Amino acid sequence: MGPVLDVVLSTGFLAAILGVSTPYVLAALGGLLAERAGVPNIALEGSMLSAACTGALVAGYSGSVWAGAVCGIGAGALLALLLGVLHLYLGADAIIAGIGLNLLAAGATAYTVYALLGDKGGTSRMHSGALPSVRLPFVEDVPGLGAVLSGQNVLTWAALAATPVIAWLLYRARFGFHLRAVGEHPEAARSVGIHVHRVQFRALALSGALAGAAGVFLSMGAVSFFVTGMTAGRGYIALAAVFLGALRPWGVFLAALGFGTAEALAVQLGNLDIPSQLVSAIPYVCTLLALAFFAWRRRRASHAAAVPASLPGLHTLESP
Amino acid sequence: MTSTLEPAAEQQELPETRDRREFLATRRRTVAVELTMTVLTVAVAVLIAFLVVLATGKDAGGALNALLTGPLERTPRIGRWLADATTLALLGLSVAIPFRARQISLGAEGQVYVGALASALVAINLHLPPFAAVLVPLGAAALAGGALGAVPGVMKARLGANEIVATLMLNAVVVRVFDYLLTDHLKAPGSTAVQSAPVRPDSALPRLSDFFGVPLDRANIGLFGMLVVAAAVWFLLTRTPLGYRIRITGSNPDFARYGGLDVPRTIEWSFVIGGALAGLAGAHLVLGIYGGLQPDMAGGLAFEGIVVALLGRNNPVGVVAAALLYSYLRVGGDVMEQQTDVGSEAVTIIQAVIVLLVTARALPELVKRYLGRVRKVPPARRRLARTLARREAR
Repeated sequence: MGPVLDVVLSTGFLAAILGVSTPYVLAALGGLLAERAGVPNIALEGSMLSAACTGALVAGYSGSVWAGAVCGIGAGALLALLLGVLHLYLGADAIIAGIGLNLLAAGATAYTVYALLGDKGGTSRMHSGALPSVRLPFVEDVPGLGAVLSGQNVLTWAALAATPVIAWLLYRARFGFHLRAVGEHPEAARSVGIHVHRVQFRALALSGALAGAAGVFLSMGAVSFFVTGMTAGRGYIALAAVFLGALRPWGVFLAALGFGTAEALAVQLGNLDIPSQLVSAIPYVCTLLALAFFAWRRRRASHAAAVPASLPGLHTLESP
Repeated sequence: MTSTLEPAAEQQELPETRDRREFLATRRRTVAVELTMTVLTVAVAVLIAFLVVLATGKDAGGALNALLTGPLERTPRIGRWLADATTLALLGLSVAIPFRARQISLGAEGQVYVGALASALVAINLHLPPFAAVLVPLGAAALAGGALGAVPGVMKARLGANEIVATLMLNAVVVRVFDYLLTDHLKAPGSTAVQSAPVRPDSALPRLSDFFGVPLDRANIGLFGMLVVAAAVWFLLTRTPLGYRIRITGSNPDFARYGGLDVPRTIEWSFVIGGALAGLAGAHLVLGIYGGLQPDMAGGLAFEGIVVALLGRNNPVGVVAAALLYSYLRVGGDVMEQQTDVGSEAVTIIQAVIVLLVTARALPELVKRYLGRVRKVPPARRRLARTLARREAR
C-alpha cells in the first residue's frame, strides 16, 4: 500500500484530479439542467465532441484561442438546440434522437477534419494553442495548496465556479423556478402562463453550452489539438453523474469529481502493478449500486414523494 | 342447381370474413407504406451526405458511385456485406425486443463482449465432438448475454431504476473487464499483438466460400443461423403468449397492468432475450469473423444495432432487411474510402441522418401538410397558416 498512498497523497495527484474532473463537472451540470427541464440530453457526448472539434479548428485558423472557445461553446449549444427541435417540435424520442445526434457529431467532426486537413487522426499537425492556465500570485506560495490550485486551466476554474452558479440559478432565480416547474409538471407550468417550450429551449442551450465548454477543455485545455472521438464516452459518464448526484447541483458536482478521481487514479496506478482497467471500472460499479439503491428507496417512498417528470414516458412502466 | 346457388351464398358473406379481408388489405397497405418510407429515408440520407460531400469540393459523383455499386463488384465484398449484415441483424433484433416492450436498452455493447468472451472461452479450451463444438459456444454466448441483460432488466422492472443509465454503466464495466482479461490473462503466449489464442478449428463457423467455391471473405453459415433466429423472433413476438405480453406492455403499459399481465416479468424477459441475441452476435464475431478475441472488437456496434432496429421498425423481417441495407452502405463506405478522396465517415453521417429522420415522427405529417398548403393556399396567407400550425404543434 505504501507506493499507492504516496501517489494518492501527492499534490500532483490532487491537481490532476481537478484537471481530469473538469469535463465531467461541466458536462454533468449541463445534463442536470436539461434533465430538470424535462428533456433528457443524451446528446451531451455529441455537444462535447463538436465543441472540441470546432474550438480547435477555429482557434487554428483564426489564431485566437478565445474565438475558438466561443465558437466551440456555440457549436455545443447549437447541437443541443437541434435536439430540442427534434424532440419538442418534430415529436422525436429524446433518447433516440440524442443517439442520432451523437452519431452525427462523430461522423461530421471526423469528416470535417479529414476534408480540411487530410488527416484522419485529428488536428495535431495544426497549431491551435490552448486556453491559458491561471496562476494565483499569493496562493501559489502556500505549500501544498499552491501546487494544487495554482496553474489550473481557466476552464477548470469555470467548472468550479459553475456549480454554485447553477445551484443559484436553479433554486434562487426566476428562470430556475420556471425550469423546474416545466420539468416536474409541464401542464401545470403551462396553465400558470409559463412558455414551456421557450424555457426548455433555453435550458437546452445552456446545457449544450456547458457540454461545449467541457469539449473545449478537452481539445484546448488538457492538450492543444483535436483527436477524432476524443470524448470517448465522457458524455455518457456525465449523464450517469447526473443521476448519481440525485439531480442536485452539488450532488452532481461530487459525482463528477468521483468519476474524475477514479480516472486519475487509474492513470496513476498504471505505473504500478495494479490493473488500471479494474480501477477505472470502480466508479461505474458504484454508480450501478447507487442507482439500484436510490431506485429502491424511491420505490419505498414513492407514494409520498412526487417522481420528477424527467424521462417522460419511462416512469410510466413502474409497477404499482 | 348448386351452381346457381353458389354466387348468392358468396354475396351473403359473413361480417367476420369481410372484416378479415379489410384488415389484411390495410395491413398490406401499411407494409407497402413502411417499405416505401424505409427506402425513402435511406435515399434522403444518402442524398444529404452527397450534398455534404459536394459542398466540401470532393468528387461526389465518384464517391456515390463507389458507395452504391462498390459492394457488388467483387465476390469478397459481397461476402463482407453478408458477414456484416449477420452481426448487425442479430444486434438489431436484440435491441428491437426491449424496444417492443418500450424499454430503451443501450446494453448491447456489453452483452456482445460477454457473449464473445463466453464463446471464446469454450471454443478455445474445450474439446467437443463435431456439432457440439459449434453449438456449445453459441449456447454459452446466449446464456452469458442473457444473464447480463437480466441485470438492468431486473433493476428496471423491480426497482424502477433508469435502464438507460444502468445499461450504459454495465457497458463501461464490461468493456474494462474484457480489456483486463484479454491483456492480462487470455493473451496468447508468444503473440506480440494483444489477442487471444484462436478458437479450435472444429468450433469455427464454416465459411460460405467452401460451399460456393467463390471467395466470399469471412461470410459464414452464421448468415443462415441469423435468418433462423429472425424467424424465431417473429414467432416469439406474434405467436406466443410472451410475445403478446411484450407487445401489449410496449403499446399500452396501463392496459397491460390493469389487464392483469405481469408487466415486470415481461420487461425482464424482454431484456434477457435481447441480451441473449446480442451474446449470439458476439459469438458470431468470435467464431465466424475474427476466430478469437481482439481488443475493441465490438466498438460502437451496439449503436449501429439501434439504427438497424429503428430502420426496421422493430419488426423481425424489417430488421433483417434494414441490416442488409445498412451493412451494404458500410461496405460501400469502405470501397468509397479506398477508391476516392471521400472518407468512410460520410457513412456515419448517412447513419445519423437516418436515425434523425426515422425518429422525427411529425416530419412526414409536416411535409404532407406543407405540400398540401403550397398547392392550395395563396403565398400571402402561407405565413399565417405556418404560424397557426406552429401554435397547434405546441
